[in-house]
Amino acid sequence: MSTRGGPAAARGMNARFAQFKLVLLGESAVGKSSIVLRFVKDQFDSYRESTIGAAFLTQTISLDENTTVKFEIWDTAGQERYKSLAPMYYRNANCAVVVYDITQAASLDKAKSWVKELQRQANENIIIALAGNKLDLVTEQPDKRAVPAADAEAYANEAGLLFFETSAKTAENSVLDIADQDSDQEA
Amino acid sequence: MTASDGASTSQQSEPVDVEQDLSNGATHYSLSRALLARKDEYVRRHRIRVKVGSWNVAACPGTDKDLAGWFVDGKGLDNTMTKLDAHDQGAKSTEEQEASEAQGSTDSSQEGEDDSIRLVGGAEVGLYVLGLQEIIALNSISQYADSSAMSKWQAALEAAMPPYYKLVTSQQLSGLLLLMYASPEVADTISNVSTVSVGTGLLGYMGNKGGVSCRIMLGETTRMVFTNCHLASGHDQANLERRCWDYSRIMTQTQFAPLNHGGVLDDEGEKLGDEDFGFWFGDLNYRLDGLPGDDIRRLLMLHTRGEYDLSKQSTKSKLGGEDGVIVMQTENDRRNSTDTPSMMRETSFDQLDDDDGTTDLPDPDDFLPDPHDDPASVQATIDSLLPHDQLSRTINSRKAFHEGWREGDITFLPSYKYDVGTVGLFDSSEKRRAPSWCDRILYRTRKDLEKHHQKLLDEVEAKKKDEDMKERGIDHAADDESVLFDYDPDKDAASGSSSTNIYDYDEYDEGDDAPENGETETVVTKEGYKDGIKLDVYTTHQRVTSSDHKPIVALFTLDYDAVVPDLKARVHAEVAKELDRAENEGRPGVTVVVEKGAADEKDLTDGSGGIHFGDINFLDYKERSLTVANTGRVPASFCFVAKPDISGGAEGDRHGAAPPDWLHIDIQPPSMVKMINGEKTVNLEPGETVSAVIDLSVTELYHLHQLNGGIASLEDVLVLRVENGKDHFIPIRANWLPSSFGRSVDELIRIPPRSGGIRGFIKKLRDGGTVSETAQQGGSRIPQSADVHTSSPHELYKLTEAIETLTERCVADESILEEESAKIPRDTAGWPFAAEIPLLTSSGEYDDQIAEDQRSLSALIQALDTDTPTQILDALPPGLPALKRLELTAHVFVLFLRSLSDGIINGPLFSQIEAALPFLSPATSAKPGKDVEDDKTTILDILATAPYNNISFVFITAMLARVASEVVPLTPEEVAALDADNVRSKRGSSVRALGVLRRTTSSAGRSPSGSIEGVDARNLQRRLDWEKKVGELLATAICRHGGGEGGAAAINLSDKQRKASEERMRGLVQIFMRRRDGV
Repeated sequence: MSTRGGPAAARGMNARFAQFKLVLLGESAVGKSSIVLRFVKDQFDSYRESTIGAAFLTQTISLDENTTVKFEIWDTAGQERYKSLAPMYYRNANCAVVVYDITQAASLDKAKSWVKELQRQANENIIIALAGNKLDLVTEQPDKRAVPAADAEAYANEAGLLFFETSAKTAENSVLDIADQDSDQEA
Repeated sequence: MTASDGASTSQQSEPVDVEQDLSNGATHYSLSRALLARKDEYVRRHRIRVKVGSWNVAACPGTDKDLAGWFVDGKGLDNTMTKLDAHDQGAKSTEEQEASEAQGSTDSSQEGEDDSIRLVGGAEVGLYVLGLQEIIALNSISQYADSSAMSKWQAALEAAMPPYYKLVTSQQLSGLLLLMYASPEVADTISNVSTVSVGTGLLGYMGNKGGVSCRIMLGETTRMVFTNCHLASGHDQANLERRCWDYSRIMTQTQFAPLNHGGVLDDEGEKLGDEDFGFWFGDLNYRLDGLPGDDIRRLLMLHTRGEYDLSKQSTKSKLGGEDGVIVMQTENDRRNSTDTPSMMRETSFDQLDDDDGTTDLPDPDDFLPDPHDDPASVQATIDSLLPHDQLSRTINSRKAFHEGWREGDITFLPSYKYDVGTVGLFDSSEKRRAPSWCDRILYRTRKDLEKHHQKLLDEVEAKKKDEDMKERGIDHAADDESVLFDYDPDKDAASGSSSTNIYDYDEYDEGDDAPENGETETVVTKEGYKDGIKLDVYTTHQRVTSSDHKPIVALFTLDYDAVVPDLKARVHAEVAKELDRAENEGRPGVTVVVEKGAADEKDLTDGSGGIHFGDINFLDYKERSLTVANTGRVPASFCFVAKPDISGGAEGDRHGAAPPDWLHIDIQPPSMVKMINGEKTVNLEPGETVSAVIDLSVTELYHLHQLNGGIASLEDVLVLRVENGKDHFIPIRANWLPSSFGRSVDELIRIPPRSGGIRGFIKKLRDGGTVSETAQQGGSRIPQSADVHTSSPHELYKLTEAIETLTERCVADESILEEESAKIPRDTAGWPFAAEIPLLTSSGEYDDQIAEDQRSLSALIQALDTDTPTQILDALPPGLPALKRLELTAHVFVLFLRSLSDGIINGPLFSQIEAALPFLSPATSAKPGKDVEDDKTTILDILATAPYNNISFVFITAMLARVASEVVPLTPEEVAALDADNVRSKRGSSVRALGVLRRTTSSAGRSPSGSIEGVDARNLQRRLDWEKKVGELLATAICRHGGGEGGAAAINLSDKQRKASEERMRGLVQIFMRRRDGV
C-alpha cells in the first residue's frame, strides 16, 4: 500500500489519516447546502435559506479499517454577486463538487463555467465531480427533467469529471459515495 | 474481560481526555485515542499457550529425530529422576528408547506414567518457538553457509506438528536457528514479523556466536520478541566477560523493521526493549563458579545413580504431582477461558483433567514435605548449587540480563554436559566438564523493564540526596540512628523463603505487584491493552539423550486482547462520526446584525443583511454599525479577511487584494482587537458582543475619476471570517452621485446653466438616452457633442467669486471686529489655500470638528454639483465665521483644480509653454517687471489658442492676485522696491529680492536712514513666502505634464525631467500672482 495520501497524510496509531479540502460550487438554489447537510448529518431540510457566506464543516470517513479521510467542506454561496469570492474556497482544494439542478437547464451551463474556472485557476490536481441534484423531483414527475442524464454524463466524460445524479432529499446516490471515489483516486 | 476498568487504567502515561479531543475535532490522534477508549468493543480476549524450547544439539546426528518427541509431544520429562539408573539408561540407545515409548509396552508401568505427564503440546500450543544451537559444527567452515541444516530441522518440526500449523519465521545464523510456528488461528493475527541476526563470534561479528531475534505483533495489540542466542563458551573470567559483551552487542545491535500500522510505517525501527513480552533463550553458557567441577559432578551423580534415594516414593509422587499441575488448567482458569472464543483446545484440557482429576485436591494427610527442605532431595542439591550460578551473579552485579529479565524456578538438573546417549551421565571424557545450567529461558514484560528503569532513576535520586546530606554534614549525625534501624524486613523475609523470581533484587516489588508462581501477571502493552502472562512450566527434557545438552522448555499461558478487524472498523466509523458531530456542533458561531441606517440608506432586501449606504457624494462621510454577537457555545474569534485577487492570480496569496480605500472598519471598543497572524482579530466569549463601525467616503482622486468614468462602482463584499467556523458575507453598496469634480474643462463648459448642475444635466442626458443606461451608476462622461454653454466652468467661476468675496469680507471683519478670532493668519504662508482641513478617513479617530468640516466641504461640493443653492456659500451652516468659510471654500477650490482630469493648462498647452519659455521658474517672478510682463504675454498668447482654458486660467490668476493683495498686501513702494532691486542688481535672480530684505532687516534696528521709506522688510518676506506656497499648492493642479496624453506622459518622465517641469509650473503660476500696479 502506498503511503502517499493527499496533502495532509499523517500517521495514526494504527491508521493512515488524510485530510482533504472539498468545496461545493454551483448556481444559487441547486442544493449545495442540502447536499452538505445530507453528507454531514444525514438530514434534509425543505426550507433552507440562501447561503450568504461560506459554511465550514468536517466529515471523517473510513475507507477501510486502516484508512481514514477527513473532509474539510466549504459550502459556498451560489449567488452571482459572491462569485468573485469563490477562489478563496477553491484555492488549495483537493476536490470540488460542482452541483447543478437537473430540472434547470441553465444551472448546468453555470456548472460548466465553474468547471472551466476550476480547471483554469484551481489546484491542477483537483478532482472535480459534477453532481446533478434533485433527482427526487424527476422520479416523481419525469417531465420535470430539463437536463438529460446522458447529456450531462457525456459532458462530464469529456471534461474528465466524475458524474452523479443525486438527491439530497432522498439520500439517493449520496455524495458520500462521490467523496469516497475522490479519495480513492487521490490515494 | 477487563471491560470496565480498561479505559481508565490502561492509559498510565497519557490519560484519555475525550472531552479535549472533541473540541479539537477528528485528528488522527484524537481518533486513535477515542478509538482506544472504546477498545473493549472491538477486542476479544484470547488465551494461548506459548511454548519456548531451546536445545544445543552440538551438531550431533539424530538430534532432529528427537525433536518431535520432546518439543511437540512433550515427551522425555524426567519425573522419576531418582529412580533413574544412568548406566542402565545410558546403555539404551536413543532409537531403542523412542521405539519403546512408541510401543508403550517394554517397560509398561514406567513408560505409561511418562505418557500421562506429557507436557502440553500438539495443537494445544498456539505458538511454538524453538531455538537451536550448533545445528552445524562450529569449526566446520565448509558448512558455514549450509542451508540444508535449516531445511532439515524445519522438516523435522513440521512433521511433528499438526499439519495446519504455519511457519512464522525461520532464520539461521551459522549454528543458530530460530523457528517459529503458529496455529492457524494465531497465525492469522500475527503481523509485523521481523527477524534479525547479530553475530558476536570471531572478530566480534561472526556468526559462530550471537543471537537471532524475531519480533511479532499479535492481534494488533501485543508485541513479542524471541531471542535465540549462543553466547561465548568457557569457564574462566575472560569468557564470562565475553558473554556479557555478547549480550550487550545483541541488545544494542538488534534493529527490527519499522512497525507497519495498516500501511503506514513508523519512522523508526524497533529495538529490543520495545516489546511487551521478551523471551531470551539459548545456550547462554553460564557456568557454576567457585566449586571444583569434580565435586559438582560427584554430587549430582549421586542423585542420578540413585545413591541418595532415601525418600524415593515421596519425591517421585511429589514431582509427578507438580507435573500434573503443569499440564492442567485449574478450575479457575478454565472458567475464565470459557467466556472467550479461546484458541485453545479445550477438549485436551478436559481430558487431562479427567485423567488427573484427583490430583487437584490432595488429601491433607498425603501432604508432602517441600523438597527444598529435604536435605536428601535432588532439589536441595540443586538449591545448594544455584548460588554459584554465574548467570545469577552476573545479573546481581548488573553486567548482563539485569534489565528486568527473570526466570522460572530451576527444579531440574544442569542441562550440560552429559555423555551423548545417556540420561544422567555427566561428562565422562577427559575434560570432565563441570555440569552447569548453560541452557536457559529468560523472559521479561514491559512492566519489568519499566520497573528496572524506575529503579535506576530512584537510585540516582537517592544518591543525589545522599550527597546532598553529606554536603550538609547530616550523614554523620545519622550514623548512630542508622544502627537502630538497620533491620530490613524485606531482606529478612526473602532469605527465609524461596522467591518466585530468584533474581528479583527489586525492593520496590512488594506485595500485590509481585506475581506468585502460577498466577497470571497483568501487563499493559505499548498499544494500551492489558495482557497477562503466566509461566506454567520450566524444565528440561532429561530423557532426551542425543546431544550433550538436554533440551530446555518453558511453557507460558498468554492472555491478550486481539483486535477483531470488523468490529474495529465499525467502532472506528462510529467514533469518527461522533467526533465530527461534536466538532461541527461545537463550532464557533456569531450573529451579525446591521444597525438601521438613515431613511435613504435602505438595507439590501435580499436577505443578505447587507448594507446600502444610499447616495454618496464626493467627500461624503457615512458610517454604519454592525453588531457581532457570539451566539455559539464556545469562544469565537473573527476577523475581516481580504478577498482574493483574481486578476493577479498569485498562488497561495492569502491576503489577496487590499480592501478598498473607500471603506474602513473600526472595531468598537478598539481594545477588543488583537493582532493574530497579521490579522486584526477579535475574540468573543459566548454572549459577548462587539461593534464594527463601517465608514464609507470617497476621497481619493483616482477613485473619483474611476467612478465618474464608470469603471468602478461603490460595491464590495466584506468577508467576516469566524475561525474554524462560517464565513459571513456582508455586501456593501452605495449609489455614486455624478460630480463636477474629476472632470475636464471641456466637459464642464457643456453644462447648461440653471439645469441643476452636472447632476441635473446627466440625468437629463440619461433620460434622453444620450448617455448609456448601462454605464455604472453615476459614472458617465459628458459627450463632446453636447453644446458649449459657458466660456469657463461655472463651478470655477462660483468658487473664485466666493473666495474673492470671502477674502474681502475677512479683511473687513478683521478691521472692524478687532477680535482675535477674526484676525487673518497672515503668518501662515499660502493662507487660505494652505489651511489644513483634515478628513475623517485619514485622521483615524472620529472627531466632531473634523466631521463638521468634512460635512461642510461635502455641502459645498454638492451645491456645485446640483447648482443648488446657486450661491454656494448658502450651503454652509449660517453661523460659520467668515475665516472658516474662506478656508473651506479655498480647500474645495484646490480640490476642484486637482481633481480636473487634465488641469487648466493641459499637457499639450504646457508643452508649448515649456518650449517657449524653457527658463521659466519661481525665480522668474523676481525678474525685472518688464521681462516678467513679456513672459506673461508669451504664456497668454499660447493659451489664447484654447479660449476656454485661457479664460479659466485668467479667472484663477486674477482671483489669486486679488487674494494676495488682500491677505498679504504690498505698498506701491514695496512693489517698487522689489522692482528697483531687480533693476539695480544684475546678479543671480534668486538673491535679488533677498538682497533688499537683507539690507533692510539688518539696518532696521540701528539706523533708520538705511531703510527704504515705506518698505517693511517683514511684509516683503511674507508676500514672497505666500506666493511661493500658493505656487507649490496650485502649480500641478493648474498645469499638467506635457509631452503626451495626461497622466501617461507624466509617468514617462524621469524624476529629473519631472522636477524641472514642476519648477516651470510653479514659475508660471507665481508670475501671475503679482499685479504691477501693486494693489
